[in-house]
Parts: sequence; C-alpha cells; structure tokens
Amino acid sequence: MFEPTEQGKDISIHSGVVLRGANTREDDVHSTGTLSIVEYTFGKCLEWKPTEVSVVSESQDQDPEWSLVNTHTRTRTVSEGTDSLGRSRTVRILLCDLKSFRINRSGQQLTLMLKDGTNYVVYFQLFNADSFVSSLKGFLKFIKSRKDRNMYIVMEAEDSVLEKSFAELDLFQENASDYVWKFVKNLHDRPYETTMEACSKLTDILLHKEPTRPVEEAVADLLNRSLTLDIPQPTILNVAGEEYEVIGEPGVSVVLPPRPPCPRGAPLTQEQWERCKDTDGRITNSEALKEMIFRGGISPTLRYEVWKYLLNYYPWEATNAERIELKNKKTEEYFAMKLQWKTMTPEQETRFSDFRDRKSLIEKDVNRTDRTHPYYHGDNNDHLVQLYDILMTYVMYNFDLGYVQGMSDLLSPILCLMDSEVEAFWCFVGFMNKVSTNFEMDQEGMKLQLSQLHSLVVLTDPQLAQYLDRHESGNMFFCFRWLLVLFKREFNANDILMLWEILWTDLPCKNFLLLVCVAVLDTEKNVLMENRYGFTEILKHINDLSLRIELPWTLSKAEGIYHQLMAVAGLLPDHIRVIIGLEPQLKTAIIDSEEENATAEPQLDVNDSRPSHSTGSGNVIFGNNEVSFERGINLSYM
Amino acid sequence: MRKGKNKYGRQKAFKMSASNNVAGGAPRVSNFPNRNSQRSTLLKVVILGDGGVGKSCLMNRFVSNHFDEHSFHTIGVEFLNKDIEINGEAYTLQIWDTAGQERFKTLRTPFYRGSDICLLTYAVDDRTSFQNLALWRTEFLYYADVQEGSTFPFIVIGNKVDVPESEKQISTEEAKAWCLENGNSPLVETSAKDATNVEAAFGAAVAAWARLEARLERPIVEDTVDLSKQQSPHRTSCCMPASTAESNKVI
Repeated sequence: MFEPTEQGKDISIHSGVVLRGANTREDDVHSTGTLSIVEYTFGKCLEWKPTEVSVVSESQDQDPEWSLVNTHTRTRTVSEGTDSLGRSRTVRILLCDLKSFRINRSGQQLTLMLKDGTNYVVYFQLFNADSFVSSLKGFLKFIKSRKDRNMYIVMEAEDSVLEKSFAELDLFQENASDYVWKFVKNLHDRPYETTMEACSKLTDILLHKEPTRPVEEAVADLLNRSLTLDIPQPTILNVAGEEYEVIGEPGVSVVLPPRPPCPRGAPLTQEQWERCKDTDGRITNSEALKEMIFRGGISPTLRYEVWKYLLNYYPWEATNAERIELKNKKTEEYFAMKLQWKTMTPEQETRFSDFRDRKSLIEKDVNRTDRTHPYYHGDNNDHLVQLYDILMTYVMYNFDLGYVQGMSDLLSPILCLMDSEVEAFWCFVGFMNKVSTNFEMDQEGMKLQLSQLHSLVVLTDPQLAQYLDRHESGNMFFCFRWLLVLFKREFNANDILMLWEILWTDLPCKNFLLLVCVAVLDTEKNVLMENRYGFTEILKHINDLSLRIELPWTLSKAEGIYHQLMAVAGLLPDHIRVIIGLEPQLKTAIIDSEEENATAEPQLDVNDSRPSHSTGSGNVIFGNNEVSFERGINLSYM
Repeated sequence: MRKGKNKYGRQKAFKMSASNNVAGGAPRVSNFPNRNSQRSTLLKVVILGDGGVGKSCLMNRFVSNHFDEHSFHTIGVEFLNKDIEINGEAYTLQIWDTAGQERFKTLRTPFYRGSDICLLTYAVDDRTSFQNLALWRTEFLYYADVQEGSTFPFIVIGNKVDVPESEKQISTEEAKAWCLENGNSPLVETSAKDATNVEAAFGAAVAAWARLEARLERPIVEDTVDLSKQQSPHRTSCCMPASTAESNKVI
C-alpha cells in the first residue's frame, strides 16, 4: 500500500463495506467503510476507507446500488489518516495488481487476490458482491474460472489476446490444461518419457508459463535440503528417469471413492459428561466420550474440566479422592520447580548463558502472545506474569527442550481456560508431550510431518501434488506454521479450542491434523492453481488464510478424506498406512510395468473399513487411465 | 559479474542517471509507484536480527504504515511487497521477515539466497541484540552465497529509539563505530512505533544498493578517490543520522 500525493478521481463508490486483509486484526472486522474505484495518474485503484458513523447513515439514505459518479471529485469527509494506534487504515489496491477474485457462497463476500499472493476479503453489508463485480467490468477484463464458477480471473492485456486467438481457433472446448490432460490420457501405447517430454513442453506453451524464477528455485532447493529427513524413510520405488519420473510411489494408483458427507455434531454437554461418571467420580466410558468430543467438541463451560483428562493431567479412571491427592502432589511438584529458577541469583545467571537466553526470549514472547485477547490485554496484566512463570518453570521441567518459539502460543489458550497457574502448567505439559517433537533442535518432527503431508497430497490429489512440485512447493514448507503450533495462528480464540480438543481425542486416526491440512489445501487448490501461483505466492496466500478458514466445514472434509482412505485401506501403501496409524502390510512394493493394466478395483463402500484385497503389489496403475508425471521431483524429502 | 552481487539477475536492468550518483544527498523517496512509465525493479530485502528487536514491526510500518505494539512474534517466514519510487526510479521491494530463534536456522537461511539488500537490526535498549549483529552478518554472508561481503549493501538499523534515554544501552556513536569496522554500512536509527526514520531506512537501503549497482555498470573512472575497498566514496553517504559521512572521518 502507498500514499499518493495527488487527489484521486472517484469513478464509482459504494458504502457499507467491511474489508479485511492479512494485517487486519479481529477487532477491525466490524469497521465499515466505503469501497471505491479511484483513478490516479499512475493507474486505477480500488480504495477502501473506513467511514465515520455519520457518513454511513448519510450514505444509507442514498441509493444502495453502486452509483457512477464519473468526473465527480470527492468532497465527502471520510476518516482519512490514522486510528488510535497510529494505523493508516485506508487500503488501496492497484487494479493492475489484481489477479483474480472470488465470490463466496452466500454472495455477500468477495475475496480479492493479488498477483503477489496477498488476499483481501470484502464483506458487503448492504447488497451483494455481484453488483460490485458488474461495476468492475468497465475497468477490468476478467473471465469466469472453469474449475470454480465463483472465481473470476483478471486477464492481462497479453492474456486477452491469447484467449481470443484460442477462441478463434476453436480448438479447445475446455481450457488448455484440461486439453493436455485429455491428450495424456489417450496415449497408452507410447513410451512415457517421450510422451511426457512432449506434453510438458506443450503444457508450458499452452499455459504460457511465466519465465523461470531462479531466485525462487535456489531458495526452494536449499529449503528442500533443510527439510530432508536425516533418518531415511521407507524406500520409495520409482522408475528412474533423467528429468521426468513416473510417480512410482506405490499407492499413487489408488483410486479413492467419492468423499462421504460427515456432518458435525453438537458439543458434549454437562449432562452427558455427568452420565459417564460413576459414584466415585471415575470416568467410565472415556472412549464414547472421545467420540462425542470428536464429533462436536465440548461445551465451553465444561472444557475446564474435560481438558484435564484430554491432556493427561487426570487419568480417566481416577476417583474424586485420587484426583484431590494428585492435585496436591502436582501442586507441590510445580512450586518446587518454580523455586529452582526463582532462586537463581543474578550472579549465577551470568555464568549460565543457556538459561539467560531462554529467560530473555520468554520475556519478549510473553509480551507478544495473544495480547488482543481480553485475558491478556493491557499493561501490568497478572496473566502475563503467569504465562511467563509457567514457561520458565517448563524450562526447569524439560531443560533439554527449553523454550522454543511457538510454545507460548500453545500455552496461552490453556492458561486462559484454566485460570490457574498450576493446572495450566500440567495441562501444558500434557500438550507438549503430544507435540514436543515439533520443537526439537533437529526439527525432525516437523520435517517428518511435512513429508507425510506431501505423501498424503500425492495420494489424495495427485494433480495438486504435481502442481506444488512443479512450483517449488513440494516440500510443503508453506504449511510450517500450521503444523508447528497446530493452527493456533490460523483460527480465532474460540475455534482453536474446539480444533485442539478434537485433535486430542486422537480420533478418527493418528495424525488427523495432517488430514485437516489436506482438507484446507483441497479448499484452496483451485485458487492456487487458477492463479498460477508460484513459490512465494503460495507461501503468501497460505499465510494470508489466517483467521479465514472455516472450521466445521474443514473438519467435515478432513473426516471425509479419512473415510475415503479407509475405504481403500488394503490398497494403501505402507507409508500411508503408517501415517494414519494402520499396521504396515510389509508387502514388497514392486513396480511391474507388465501389470500396468491390471487395475485394482477399490471398494467403494465407505462404511467398510476392512482391508480389501489388493493386487498384491504397488503397481503403477493410473486411475481412470490417467498418467501422472512430474519433472525431476526430489523424492528425497518425500 | 561483480563480486558480492547476487547471480540471479533482475527483472529489469537498472540504469542510473548521473544525478543519482551524488554522494551524501539523501535519496528522494516518493511513496507511490509509477506503473505507467515502466516496470519497476524488484529488490529482495531480508530483515535480520534477534527476536524482539522489531523486525516485523519495521516491515509493517513501512509497508502498511501500521504499528501494533502487541503483534505476534513471527513463526516461519513472512514477506510483504511494497512499491516505492526513489530518485525517479520505481522499485518493488520484496521484504522477507523470519523467525529469529536459533532452532529455526535451517528453515530461515534458504531465504537469504538471491537477496539484494540486508537490514541488520538491533534494538537500542537491548545490548545483546547489538552484540549479535556480527553473527547475523556472518550468517547472512555465508548462506546468501555472497562472495564478497564488503560490497554487499548491508544497512544497520537501531530500532526503538522512542524508548526513554535512561533505557538506551547503545549510543549512536557506539553503533557508528561498529558500522565503520564492519564494511562501513550506513546506520539508521528508527522507531517503528512512532514511525521515525522507517521510510528513510528503506530509502537508504535502496540508495546504497543503487550506488553499488551504478559503480558496477560504469568503469571506475569517476571514482578517483577509490584506493581501497573499505573507503570507497559511495559507501560514506547515508541518510540518517545525517552526519554519518563526517563522523566516520572523525572516528
């Protein structure tokens, strides 16, 4: 964004518009403003300005439709400049930076996507997005996406020419990439390498791929090396090729059945919870409880109690008396550890740099963790002291791990809910026991998850996997933040509580978090591919999704993906089976091109999760006669 | 190709006009892009420094002119783009901001590759962050694969100058002395909080880059004073504090 020195000329104004960008905080969501198309000498801009209340009412009297005010210079007063925090709140987007936009299902929201991957979401309060889109028509040339009917792609000048010439040729009924895929499908009898070489070149020409960006390639290359697991993973067989490799990952051939709908349920209620307790206070039916929690989360007032079980502070089978005893013991233990660092003298600290460094980083991070949340708001907030004390005590509890950035994010919602230093500490310990590998020095836990995520995408959506691989993103680094702090930065304070309690049930399978990632990527797939985003834009787009992911929808989808996988469980290759917690079948995966046509018939009954019969080897079978190929894919990080 | 230059080329060849080469003058930073005339030059800028010195805040102040005292610490890698015009030239700065903790080093360093400018950042109320500048500089040079550090445009930024005098641990003089010993990088003292010198810092960075680039494209004829690499005249100019060039001589 920038501050023009000249006065712009409004071409089109509309009011009652809320705009959210990646830098917009939750509390900004509710400020209404006007969205205009403004003409400057350097180009036309979309300009959003927050409105004073009086201005809103004034404009509500006017025709709520877009009014064309050509050659009319702006005279109205809008709150120019900065807000109380010194933020300049006008948002200005050059039309030539706009890559695409998408209207959401209800038609009240519009996502603007810029060429560099930045997102803005526009909420229309007084009318729907269609009338805005039609008013854009005069200034931008755009076409409807063929893959997503709610998405519009802005045409560059050269694009329009190309599109036109294609249209004149009347060659392609569908868009260029579909054409290529069809072409590939129909070629059975030719050697792969030749075909793929030819097709890939054709794809590049048809998609008029942007020139290669050497900096991005170099960065991605180094990143691949950083993310390569030191521990060798189960060997993945592939047909060796110089530049192109047939994806020989066994199981790529598995055809998934359609995704079943998985409706969410209601949260666990106090009544249901109490019913599961026996007279001594033992929880008798923890598995059934976990099922309910997985299905619908926990009622907010009940979380305080149930989380202590989910986080292994209280054993399910503990009686009331045993819990009291445990609590006393744990309280003592906590304060003993707290005393250890509390009594560290400044002189001791001077000779203890590891301790000093951790202390200093915790101090800094506590001051920038969830400070907009009412619980941590304001200066001299006691809760910040507790956050600090717990993290410092955790350093003493697990000095090998110490403090790693991201931990304060995981602790903050727990403390807020428990509102007790001791209980929050032990629940945090339970959480850390589940995810501590994320924070280890060698980062092996993160690397493993990223590579597992890649494997899952290869299996569930080869087209997306191929796209990511071809755009230097096969290392899945752009999902790093999702995994490190389990989506903490991506969801608002309420949603994150529900997501975490669902993940803590370990249902429906191991690594369900990864399936949640696959679900979000599935939702974003069209946007990434239709915008032809590269490495940096993918990273930006995914970063910008923060606070804009719909949780229940994503959870349903993730569960649906789980059922898809289970429906073909017997056909899944071992490395996938291991990810979702199934026993490996220890079959030798052999790539046998002679068996190429022996397509396995997957079981389509999604309710039947029994292993089905497989053809006995990980054939390179191309589902629906599709051929998958990719360029020089670096299998070392897969 | 010059030593120290990244080897990946740029979207647009950079051409300097003679008037831009005047040493000592503060660059004219204009804050709107001129897209009609030509494509802008894309420059990759990396902000480095200890956790909590205000890297993300500097970036957000510069790009969106907003400051959030309680913004989160960065996890992973983030970047923002910003179009600016300096001395009549249009630039797009792609500014990369990373997590500072040692643990995430392997995931941070790949992003140094292909950088055009590096901002080394410390907080004036945090001596450790100042002491670590040398480590950041070394880490950058190593992983950015810059062959000769002395000709790479580093800018040293002392952030948080808004803190009360009593809390300051690093004086301007001390910082200048460090800069002089470490490639004679320009020093800019900033406050992302009250917007002091933030634009000037990025402007100085681009100007430093442009001067180096200009020197490369034209033979050394003009630089008659250039007897040693360290004391080349194009290095002595800087915008803030305004008197860097002179004070360097004094020290």
